[in-house]
This record gives sequence, C-alpha cells and structure tokens, in this order.
Amino acid sequence: MEKNSNSSLTWFPPEFKELNWRLWSFALILILSAGALILYPVSEYQGYVDPFYSPTVLVIPLIALFRLSCYAYRKDYYRHVFRHPLACIDGIRFDDKRKGYSGEMTFFSLNNFHRYFLYIAIVILPFFYYDIYVSMMYVPGEFIFRLGTIVLIVNTILLTLWTFSCHAFRHLTGGHTDCYSCKTAGGAKKKFYNGQSYLNRYHEQLAFISLIVVLAVDLYIRALIVGWPVDFTFLKFVI
Amino acid sequence: MEDVKIKIRRSEPALSSEWRYEEYSVPVVEGMVVLDAVHYIQNNIDPTLAVRWNCKAARCGSCSAEIDGKPKLMCKTRLDSLGSKITINPIKAYPVVKDLVTDVSQNYEIAKKIPPFTPKQGLQEPWKFMQIDVTRSKEFRTCIECFLCQDVCHVIREHQSNYYGPKHVVKIAALDLHPIDSIDRSELMHHDGGLGYCDITKCCQNVCPEEIRITDNAIIPEKERIVDHAYDPIGVLIKKIKKRKW
Repeated sequence: MEKNSNSSLTWFPPEFKELNWRLWSFALILILSAGALILYPVSEYQGYVDPFYSPTVLVIPLIALFRLSCYAYRKDYYRHVFRHPLACIDGIRFDDKRKGYSGEMTFFSLNNFHRYFLYIAIVILPFFYYDIYVSMMYVPGEFIFRLGTIVLIVNTILLTLWTFSCHAFRHLTGGHTDCYSCKTAGGAKKKFYNGQSYLNRYHEQLAFISLIVVLAVDLYIRALIVGWPVDFTFLKFVI
Repeated sequence: MEDVKIKIRRSEPALSSEWRYEEYSVPVVEGMVVLDAVHYIQNNIDPTLAVRWNCKAARCGSCSAEIDGKPKLMCKTRLDSLGSKITINPIKAYPVVKDLVTDVSQNYEIAKKIPPFTPKQGLQEPWKFMQIDVTRSKEFRTCIECFLCQDVCHVIREHQSNYYGPKHVVKIAALDLHPIDSIDRSELMHHDGGLGYCDITKCCQNVCPEEIRITDNAIIPEKERIVDHAYDPIGVLIKKIKKRKW
C-alpha cells in the first residue's frame, strides 16, 4: 500500500484547496460575528458587563483561538466542516481517498499551541468574577442582587469549568508525570489529576454549553438595553 | 422467534477480484449473537463461508467485522440489538483474505518498530513501583488487539498515511506512562509514527469494545508530550533551567 510521505507535505493544507462550502461559510460566520461585535458594541449596562467585552473586546481573537485550538472543538470542526470523517459508520463517513488530508501535520499543527491560549484564558478568567462583583455593587453604597447577576454567575462558573477541564491543563498539572510516588506530595498531585480527569470527561459538553451561554448572556444584556423587561431585583439594601 | 436476514460480503481476492453480497435466513434463538448466526450459516447453509474467531467471549479480538457499517466484535453484538436485516462486511481498512477474514499483519510490522519496555538503569530486581503509578497504564493493558480502532480510523482507512494508528498509540502510551520505563516514545510518534495525522475525531474511542478511552487517555496525552518538546519553547527553557546545576 502506497503511503503519504511527511516530506511531501507543504505548510498550506490540501483541506483549504477544496471547494468546501462548509469551511467558507464557517469562516464567513466568524468574520460577520467579529464585525457585529465591533460595529454594535455593548460596554456596560446598569452594572452588567457583556462577556464579549470583558475586560476588552481586543482579547476576543485570543479567546477565539483558545476555542478553535480546544480539543473538543477540533474534533467537531474536523468532522463537520472538513468531514474527516463526518461519522464513524460506513456509508455516512463522507471521507474519501481522493480528498486531500494533512491532519495536524501542516497548518493545523498550530493547534499545538493550545496551552499558550490556555495561559491567556486563565489570566482573563478573574475579570469575569470581578464583573459579578461590579453587577452587585455598581451603585455606590448599595448592594443589589438581580437576575442578571445570576446569569453572570452561571456564565462564569461554566467558563471556569470549561477552562480547567482542558486536556492541556490536565497534561500540565499531572498528565506529564509518570511517577507520582517519586515526587513531593505525589499523592495529592495524583488526587488532583484524578479529579481534573473526572471534569475532563465532560469537557466537550462544557465547551458547547459555555459557548451557548456566553452568546445567551450577550443577547440578554442587549435585550435589557433595548428595554425588554427581563431583569428582576431579588435583594437590595444600603451598605 | 422470527428469522433474521443476514447479508454477508463474500470474496476471495486470491482467486477473483469479484465480490458479492449473499443473503441468508437464520432462525433467531434468544441470546444469540452475530457470531452464532455466522456459525449457523457455516454449519447449516454454506460451509465455504470464512470467518476468523477463537474465544467467543470478547477476549481474543479475532471476530472483528463491520455490522451494519459499524466496526464491532461479532461475538459481543446481540442479534436482538439489531434489526431484522443485517449486513456484515469484513473490516475495510485491511486487505481481505476470504469473506470476513482480513490480513492484519501490517500491525505486527508496526509493533516491531516500537521500542520495548526498557527499565531505568541501576534499578534493583525485583523492580518495585507503587500502585498509584500504574493505575493509568492499566487501562491500556485491557486492549485485546481486535483492530477495530485501526479499522475505523480514517487516517488508515481512507488516507493511508504513515500514522501507526490508535491501537499502537495505546501500546506506546502504556509504556510511556510506566514509572520505571526509561524511553520517551513521543519523539518516535512525532516523526515516524505520524501522530500529527490524527485529528482526534474520537471514532477509535467510540468503537473500542474494551471501552478504553483511547483519544482522551492515550492519543491526547501523547500529543501533549510531543508539544512538550516540539511546540513549547517556554516549557523547554524551564526544563533546561531546572536541570542546570548552578
């Protein structure tokens, strides 16, 4: 059987040379979404900071790269955008010998820098917790707890769980270790690894739920701005 | 109970390049698995039908086939979990010898390229290591070498790259994670093994009859080990600083 040779690969992947409407419509959706975020900005409304603008809209490309290089999303766009393969069952795989394929040997080897985007995401994460604080304390001398704060809390928890269930985080915090008993506090390290591995099982679900919730929070804040009565105050007192 | 219609792909490439589907009617008995039905055909309808099998207990990994398009073990797939019409194909990633029997010998050639378990030097025998350090690699030792993961992998099945395949990554991960093994095989996987071809679509994990989490626990950790030495300059620098004797 003739085999592809690594040396015959060029950096520009054959996947991009095909007439693939899924790929270009996916790229178009990303460009239109980025344009919409810039043209119709929402900085802050009654103490609610839109997650797309926290701390600044300028970090969006970095967060987008964190999402795009995430193992969970990689699986899905290789399957559904490139159909390599669409499904595991014969007959609906839609993969073919004639289709060019380079996997993560060429352009997509950039996905290997996922851990650097993870570091950035960990730095950005505290801003979302600060936003929760701001949503409750935005009037000086007053504490207010509203439905919007609960929405922000749910969003932040989901983003935290998704970030820390990452496969790269799993590797960096324990996966690279072969001998736990040889290390200082190896037992604790292994327990942490086991706990993180449990969370990691749900990484795919968390990736998509957190993405949908971020979009929903953005729409919720935009709905408030245009005057929809979708916010309720549960608690309010002077401090 | 009703009969079930079973369509089997028949061919013998050594004699002819032609192939055909033949349909057989098999009476179903409660608890019957697909391999029982194939044995019924062999014993009562067509003794020329070729099938490889051994234990009939999902331990030997011999009776791999594609049942209604999905790679499965025939001995572990109950007829009552399928419809009244079943199609059985040999595993398509490998050349057919006859009917449902395929030649998987290329896996044995790949296995020869993988450096065997090599304990660290200076260890006193008998080797001692803690349970905590081997729990991760134990999962990989349940592999029965059925090659269903290799069959479903599109890199091997559709693209014939130099990628060793998920089964071999499982073997490599089992060795790499071992606490007293001294070789890092991720370097081999990065170059000769072609792990970069894997696009982690998790089909291998979906079809594993032993439910080994191949992608999450073997392939991605090996990919991350490759990142450690090939794509993480800061990590490499930190390691060098740590190793340096000041």
